[in-house]
Amino acid sequence: MQPEAPGTRYPSLSRRGFLTAAATAAGAVAAGPLLAGCGSSGAKTGTTSQSALQKILPTYVPQNAVTPDIPGVRGSSPGFLRYPTNLVKTVGETPGAGGSYTAVTPLWGSIPSAAGNHYYAAVNRALGANLRVQPANGNTFNTILPPMFAARNLPDWICLPSWNTDSTHGLNFGEAVGALFVDLTPYLSGDNIKKYPNLAAIPTNAWQACVWGEKIYGLPVFPGGLYTNTLYYRKDILDSLGIKQPMSADELFNVGREITNPNTKRWAFGDLWTELKAPFGIPAGLNWTTDDKGALIYQYETPQFIEALRWQQKAFAAGLVHPDDVAGDLSNAKQRFYSGQTVIYGDGVGAWDEAVKGQTPVNPKFNMQAFAPFTASGTGTPGYDIINGATIFSYLNRKLSAGQIQELLRIANFLAAPFGSYEYTLVTFGDPAVDYTRSGDGPPTPTAVGQKEVATSYGFLATGPGVVADAQYPDYVKAYTRWEANAARYQRKPLFYDMNISEPAQYASLNQPVEDIIKDVNRNRKGIADFQAAVATWRRNGGDNLRKFYEDIRSKYGTGQ
Amino acid sequence: VSGNTLTWRDRLRRDRTLVLMVLPAVLLLIVFNYVPMLGSVTAFQSYDIYNGFLHSPWTGLATFERLFGDPIFWSAFWNTLAISAVQLILFFPVPIVLALLLDSVMSRRLRSLVQSVVYLPHFFSWVLVVTVFQQMLGGAGLVNSLLRQNGLHPFTIMTNPGLFKLLVTSQVIWKEAGWGIIVFLAALATINPSLYEAAAADGAGRWRRMWHITLPGIRGVAVLLLVLRLGNALTVGFEQMLIQRDAVGRGAAEVLDTYSYYYGIVNGNFSLGAAAGLLKGVMSLVLIVAANRVAHAFGEDGVYRRS
Repeated sequence: MQPEAPGTRYPSLSRRGFLTAAATAAGAVAAGPLLAGCGSSGAKTGTTSQSALQKILPTYVPQNAVTPDIPGVRGSSPGFLRYPTNLVKTVGETPGAGGSYTAVTPLWGSIPSAAGNHYYAAVNRALGANLRVQPANGNTFNTILPPMFAARNLPDWICLPSWNTDSTHGLNFGEAVGALFVDLTPYLSGDNIKKYPNLAAIPTNAWQACVWGEKIYGLPVFPGGLYTNTLYYRKDILDSLGIKQPMSADELFNVGREITNPNTKRWAFGDLWTELKAPFGIPAGLNWTTDDKGALIYQYETPQFIEALRWQQKAFAAGLVHPDDVAGDLSNAKQRFYSGQTVIYGDGVGAWDEAVKGQTPVNPKFNMQAFAPFTASGTGTPGYDIINGATIFSYLNRKLSAGQIQELLRIANFLAAPFGSYEYTLVTFGDPAVDYTRSGDGPPTPTAVGQKEVATSYGFLATGPGVVADAQYPDYVKAYTRWEANAARYQRKPLFYDMNISEPAQYASLNQPVEDIIKDVNRNRKGIADFQAAVATWRRNGGDNLRKFYEDIRSKYGTGQ
Repeated sequence: VSGNTLTWRDRLRRDRTLVLMVLPAVLLLIVFNYVPMLGSVTAFQSYDIYNGFLHSPWTGLATFERLFGDPIFWSAFWNTLAISAVQLILFFPVPIVLALLLDSVMSRRLRSLVQSVVYLPHFFSWVLVVTVFQQMLGGAGLVNSLLRQNGLHPFTIMTNPGLFKLLVTSQVIWKEAGWGIIVFLAALATINPSLYEAAAADGAGRWRRMWHITLPGIRGVAVLLLVLRLGNALTVGFEQMLIQRDAVGRGAAEVLDTYSYYYGIVNGNFSLGAAAGLLKGVMSLVLIVAANRVAHAFGEDGVYRRS
């Protein structure tokens, strides 16, 4: 469920090649909007300034119903080593008023049948409403959205991950959001949110990510967490070789040399490109940073980007990267790491829990750890760009009446109950009579029925602040929270942090040629000079216009930092 | 003979059953092929999903202008043609030769066994085929591991852009050659066995019989398939290229279909994708008509009979 690496825009607004004459004759007028476009044309960017934000953001009222075993530090996730035995109720009365609603959510996993589903029945009973959740395959979720948007035929409540609504999907979201979804500002801004205490306990930066054009549209889903991706290493393997986590790019390369041995089918690295950007100091977020004169420069234009490319070239040339990663076959990247064919690889933060759950039973020695932040040079303080306060959102259909909106917000308040509460346990594990069992102070364990009919479905409509919890693997919870709390010390807000900006569609494919060249450069099929030429083309074909667009955003709305 | 003198209504009455039988297929064709074709208008618009093709602004030929001015498009175009040419030369004859070989096998059981084995890969997905190749020939694959264990130097096939055309062609042969046999075997079965007997009685040897009876017998089918293949010259296996694009890079593996995908669909630039697709369709039409003309010139039926 990781978002695609942000990227990929289009080249060539140039007028080379044949048909030019014909096109200039026939298309002179019509070509105007496409070719002339740069951000200043009054397109709706959906962006909001800091001062406007302060007027509308909900008041933050932390919840203390459940106390974590390991508190969060500087925005890192709190950890729970045990599942609470006393399930606190955080919602007094039944939230629903008997309304009937449809909801569509993405789901990464098998989709349970709605017929005879005790879980849906139990949750709806507690909600006091008939909320029909229709989960759809999360991996192909982007394919069901275009027909819905084109036909303006949306469910009452829909979950839309931000990576499905960015400018590369042609949904024109900055404009569509206002036309299709409910403006929640009157219900949630300032102290209004206090009517919904569980929603009020969601941190402000998550609400900020819900704001489009000075109005609150979304409800944050799975808010919290500072980073999406990290480098991982097999500590059991490095320990057996007496090697510690490398703390610079050179050390990383040398360690790679030491542990690579194709004869025993062991390679040091998977494809590390995405996760190497942080140690090299390449800007994340929307990938803009400033040069020493304060002008905006894109990640491709930074010197550290070229340093990172050089490192990759060296690692690929020395044969330290697993051949299947060289071949771009990432489908089995996790398995290669599990089996020890690769020792260091990069993945989403969710991959950690998944690996521990899957590997500990089959390989008790399996010990994976995330890299502590380091700098490529090995000197200075690392600066790791953090992600927005929320990256998944749910929206209410604009056709709903004020009464219906309030009913759904009360339901959202129920769904957003904190980890370990009565409501959370019901929404996450289902009907205690059928779906799960608990022995003593052990965690809820799904029954066979529970495994079949419970899925993260309501969870994609509203959720409380994120926590790290896995009562079965307390070592993982400790390691994860320790890692994130340490990494939190090096957090940095990228430019345009937590801001919603709808980019003009013509820039959508601008990055694609450069991203392709990067793959060639990494694999030593092309050189640094080819990369620089591609970046020069990128600038000519729209990069410089995009820079003007963002300069404009910066002067109008600030940088979000 | 008197068909031309029948009225339209008489003919309809006569062919009623046939018309009814063909109706579902025509409906399917209209609903799923012709109606979606109207979506090609997006190539002349600055299209976005939210505004739909009714409200998206018209841009005339601007998208095509951008397409023709894009060196990456041209590189994809030439890659497509080159891969197509290599496949035409190396792949097209393989099923014919296999069919001839198989036809000469007397044992019925052996024949059906061989046939089953060679056409089974047709049912594998491209993901599976490429994975099998990677696990066998890749850098960490079976062959290279064996080489390393014996102190020999491993080779690079799966990530070598220079060999890519041959690699994809050998994948196509492995996957599709067996399937291609079926049509030719059917064509061979239509040849009257008495022709062979008569030729043998006249003292014609194995090669003469093949040259004068077998090959002319399957020529019509071969030409038909060749014309169809030429019409499809700009389609060279989207999934196969997509899966292996990172392994050898855009320079070697970008074809028209992956171009439409990456620059059109992946990045939400539907107009550009539609323009590239439309252009491909028009060029394919030209190719198939031209190839059919050539077939007629050589006295063959081609795709449709000359009236």
